[in-house]
Amino acid sequence: MKEITEAIRQELTDLIFNYYAEECEVDRDSITMDTNPQEDLESDSLMFVELIELTSEKYDLDVKLQSIGKYLLKTPMNTMKDVVDMFCKIYQYGNEIVNQ
Amino acid sequence: MYQKAFLFNGIGSKPEKLLVKLSPALTEKYQYYVDEEFSRLGLQTALENNLPFDRKVAEWIISLICDRVVFEYYLSQGIVPDIGAGYSSGIVSISACFGAVPHTFAHEIIMMNRATMRTLEQHHQNLDMGVILGLDYQSVQDILQGRFTPEEVMVGSANSIICTMITGQAEAVEKALAICMEEGAMKAIRFHTGIAYHHPCMKQYSQEYNDFCGSIAYQNPEYPIISVFDNRIMTEGTEIMRENQLNVYTPIRWDLALKKLTDLGVTEFFDVSANGAVEKFSRINKRKGRIYTLSEL
Repeated sequence: MKEITEAIRQELTDLIFNYYAEECEVDRDSITMDTNPQEDLESDSLMFVELIELTSEKYDLDVKLQSIGKYLLKTPMNTMKDVVDMFCKIYQYGNEIVNQ
Repeated sequence: MYQKAFLFNGIGSKPEKLLVKLSPALTEKYQYYVDEEFSRLGLQTALENNLPFDRKVAEWIISLICDRVVFEYYLSQGIVPDIGAGYSSGIVSISACFGAVPHTFAHEIIMMNRATMRTLEQHHQNLDMGVILGLDYQSVQDILQGRFTPEEVMVGSANSIICTMITGQAEAVEKALAICMEEGAMKAIRFHTGIAYHHPCMKQYSQEYNDFCGSIAYQNPEYPIISVFDNRIMTEGTEIMRENQLNVYTPIRWDLALKKLTDLGVTEFFDVSANGAVEKFSRINKRKGRIYTLSEL
């Protein structure tokens, strides 16, 4: 398990917010932790998959989409806070996220 | 020998999602083509005023016209393909844009899907397709094997490591999608097309379509096209005709076609879809190449 610092968490938050702002063509400042990525930003699953790929590449993470898919069955993502929390777990646990 | 490849999308994108991506100049050009073609084909530009089968093909023709507008825009910017590939009905689109058939004939091919839909209806067939995000070809194959026969449901297209399309009997497609979700797919979406494109069962229901595809002489394309069925590099009109005929009932390996293009030296891929859909479901080795979309160009 990798340790996640406050700095890494902030970096991930910025990466995620900037990504959604660009992909969904909305103002970055209009996105908050309570924003629903699907309903409020009209994001889709392909965007989410691409975000996982981007993050995995940036942090050299070894994680299978299938592991994240199984995790999502237990933990749906309704807000940007859920998204950030999930990416922090991906960073920490990699494929073991499925057991979290 | 090959550096730039143009990638043509199949059906599936909603017209409004395509049109919003066109600049005013491109929209004007699009409108000119639509008015001309819809009038010739007897289709209503207000899509809701068409009969159900007409509405479907009208949406698909809009997709082809958007491709044409984007394709012509790329050429006008000096971006010229060395080769190309068409995903599903993108084969019809690339056949026209690369000069193997006139655009009017390509639109008539799309119109012939109505005959296939009618035949399926007469035979009381309940078919469908679906897409799975987050599972690759082999993972989906493993899930289907032992649970379903290929006659019930099979992989219709291996798009990329993140995206696989399945096709077959509607009930089996629905069950397979549900199982894929339980097995860790990020998303599994049923298309509700009523048709199982890229399933061998479609051969018996698409005779009229296939006869029409073969009803004119095809020109040799201006640029080579890679087959998404067996990765052949096609340079002759007869090969393009055959590709169009195989299209309805043959499974696609889009992933392998893109890999072959990369192996052939292609480093710049240009998504000809207005909304960058090909770039979203395709994956290429990032160290070897990149996919450009209209919004970036």
